[in-house]
Amino acid sequence: MQPTRILQSLRYRRLRLTTKDVNKGFYKGTRTGNMGRHTKHGGFVVEWDKVRTYVCPSLEGFKLTPFVARTMPRTFGQYENMMGPKDPAIYLARWKAENGLD
Amino acid sequence: MATSAAMRPSMGALGRISWCYSTPSLTQTASLSTTAALLKRHKYPEARDNKDHNKKRGESAIRRTGTRWRLSMSDEPLPRPVPRSRLPAIETDPDHGLWDFFANRTSVAHAPEEEAKHGRSWSVEELRGKSWDDLHRLWWVCVKERNRISTSNWERKKSELGFGEAEAFVRDREVRATMRAIKHTLTERFYTWEDAVKTAENDPEINLSGDGPPFTPSDYLEDAEVAAEGDQQIAEAAEETAEKAEPATIPSSKPQAEAPRL
Repeated sequence: MQPTRILQSLRYRRLRLTTKDVNKGFYKGTRTGNMGRHTKHGGFVVEWDKVRTYVCPSLEGFKLTPFVARTMPRTFGQYENMMGPKDPAIYLARWKAENGLD
Repeated sequence: MATSAAMRPSMGALGRISWCYSTPSLTQTASLSTTAALLKRHKYPEARDNKDHNKKRGESAIRRTGTRWRLSMSDEPLPRPVPRSRLPAIETDPDHGLWDFFANRTSVAHAPEEEAKHGRSWSVEELRGKSWDDLHRLWWVCVKERNRISTSNWERKKSELGFGEAEAFVRDREVRATMRAIKHTLTERFYTWEDAVKTAENDPEINLSGDGPPFTPSDYLEDAEVAAEGDQQIAEAAEETAEKAEPATIPSSKPQAEAPRL
């Protein structure tokens, strides 16, 4: 499978990269991460400290939902400079005003 | 083997008798039983084994013959079918976590009208004021909502319940937008914190060495005239300020994460 000639001359590629397109040693993976190791006999040993464990926090008394009422218009922040909410000066000023301890 | 072992004492007794009474013809017929072997047929080499190898010969399910040998459970009475109404109710845990995969305890999926009743997603600006814990828990609320939508999608397809796919898609899209906003907020907050640490290195009021109070306000001491009371008072005042602040504000959670890194 190849792009058409005009796209080839433009060096334009909109085909997914596969292991056949590159040299040896390319591992595409399945975006799932490594959960163990391979043995020399061809087996696989699951290492449980590598296996992901997701801990859900206690949701008791938590009242927020994934949705906000449509009667409430979207909120937009008012910022003084172009840095906006990413301004470290604002961050420090707020830290000093509200905590300043740790 | 068992029979020969059992016969052995009697044969020995016969031998003793024959030895005592010395009658050669009698002893020979009694002690050696070679006649049975002589009567066997097909003893020539390559003879066909005449045994019936089919252990199930004669067994028939149609004629209900049963097996040719007794089974260990032959005397067990067979259970009789009980109508479902007389069976005891299946007990389930009312607080089981898997219930969260469903909208309620009675139905597997919402009707499309119910599914469409939802608000808009959270905007990033609305989430900027939330604490780490609130965002963490909101993320898991979103995960559970997506699980519920996915379960109802699966049930709708399996049970052929009909419409509702479009409503479920829109609802799921709003939840995903909220999750994206949570990630946006946390990433932005982390980068801002990194920049703030760099800025704090040049701030004379902030002490990043770890010894002494991290923040010594220069103006505050003179204005409030509490300079003589010492640093302990400052710390207590700062703690009170932190408690008064909303729990869902940035500094109540974020500087705690900041502490080990400073």
